[in-house]
Amino acid sequence: MRLQQRVIIDADRDTVWKHVSDPACYPEFMTSLERWEAVSDGPVGVGSRYTGHWKIGSVPVGGVIEVVEFDEGRDLAWIGITGITQRGRFRLRDCPDGTKVIFRLAYEAPGGLLGVIADWVASRQVGGTMKQTLENLRRLVEG
Amino acid sequence: MALGDVVEWAKHQVSARVPKADLDQRDPDYIREQLPGLWLLASLYFRADVRGLDRIPTEGPVLLVGNHSGGNLPPDTFVFTLAFSSYFGVERPFYQLAHNLVVSMPGLGSLRKFGTVAANHENARLALESGGALLVYPGGDYEVFRPSWERHKVDFGGRKGYVKLARDAGVPIVPIASVGGQEAALFLDRGQWLAKLLMVDKLARLKSVPILLAPPWGLAVSDFVPRLPLPTKITIEVQEVIDADDIKAADDDVIHEKVTTALQSGVDRMAAQRRFPVIG
Repeated sequence: MRLQQRVIIDADRDTVWKHVSDPACYPEFMTSLERWEAVSDGPVGVGSRYTGHWKIGSVPVGGVIEVVEFDEGRDLAWIGITGITQRGRFRLRDCPDGTKVIFRLAYEAPGGLLGVIADWVASRQVGGTMKQTLENLRRLVEG
Repeated sequence: MALGDVVEWAKHQVSARVPKADLDQRDPDYIREQLPGLWLLASLYFRADVRGLDRIPTEGPVLLVGNHSGGNLPPDTFVFTLAFSSYFGVERPFYQLAHNLVVSMPGLGSLRKFGTVAANHENARLALESGGALLVYPGGDYEVFRPSWERHKVDFGGRKGYVKLARDAGVPIVPIASVGGQEAALFLDRGQWLAKLLMVDKLARLKSVPILLAPPWGLAVSDFVPRLPLPTKITIEVQEVIDADDIKAADDDVIHEKVTTALQSGVDRMAAQRRFPVIG
């Protein structure tokens, strides 16, 4: 399942990037985030690992994720190492009204047909969570 | 042949069919494949809500002690198994104790892949010594078949062997409170008198032969014929951990009281939030 949400934030790209690139900030704006812990030491960058779980349906869903792209001021992408198979991305681009932030998430549950159904059932809630996350980010950045 | 000999023979036949605990039968890949199906069932049919998983120590052996509801199809067990496996990952060893008849029942062999082993002290000790998290329901068949009007009562029937188990293994206890499971059917009577009459208390360690109303059968005696559980809302709340040092320093009654008080408080809190039976 591939989902995408976007928001325009009235701030320059560097200001938005400060929040997006600081995982310590994530509990402040990520909706339904039940667990967020750094697994690796040191500053965030490619190879940094975190444990993240979001309350989707009845239980927290997620696992250990690893940052695979860290393009200063532009892109931050991660993949799932354990738990649900996932690939996510925050993409920041300049636009006339400030900064356009795109939040993409591709995920795939195991379990064959039941996994496909679970992906589809969860997609509405996951999409809503992503949308609310971007809205929270906008409020956080714009103050 | 005397009646006593017949009873002994039947007892041996039952116990011989109980699979020996083999912790290696737990299969993380199998569990991972089953999680989406369990998630659908928990999220859509039982509308489950699991809270407070962050109170469970993130690593090392731990004894999880729950109140038990729902008869032989206890929704709280599979919902918590789903929650634990999702939150800590299928990589973390997690075992559950179940009644002998459950683990030896035809068609339920797959439970062993989930880490379910027969409930006895030796299996529990093995699971904790291996470093796993272990879920136990001390109330067992006594509590799980209590009448539905006692659904919000935590009652282990005086069983507190789990405290000694935790102390001997040097592990913390985390109480797991749940509500909703006893509304999956209308349990009318534990049927302890029936268990004695049929002598299954001696033959199969079965202290209850419950009488219940459940679809599609209507009135049912015993809970071994598959039935359709009602879509009751399940809520589970993890309580505060009781440290291994506290367990070591106090006697069984004190720790048992602490566990049951924590469970009853959690159950009362969640029960107060339910507006209707089944619907939640």
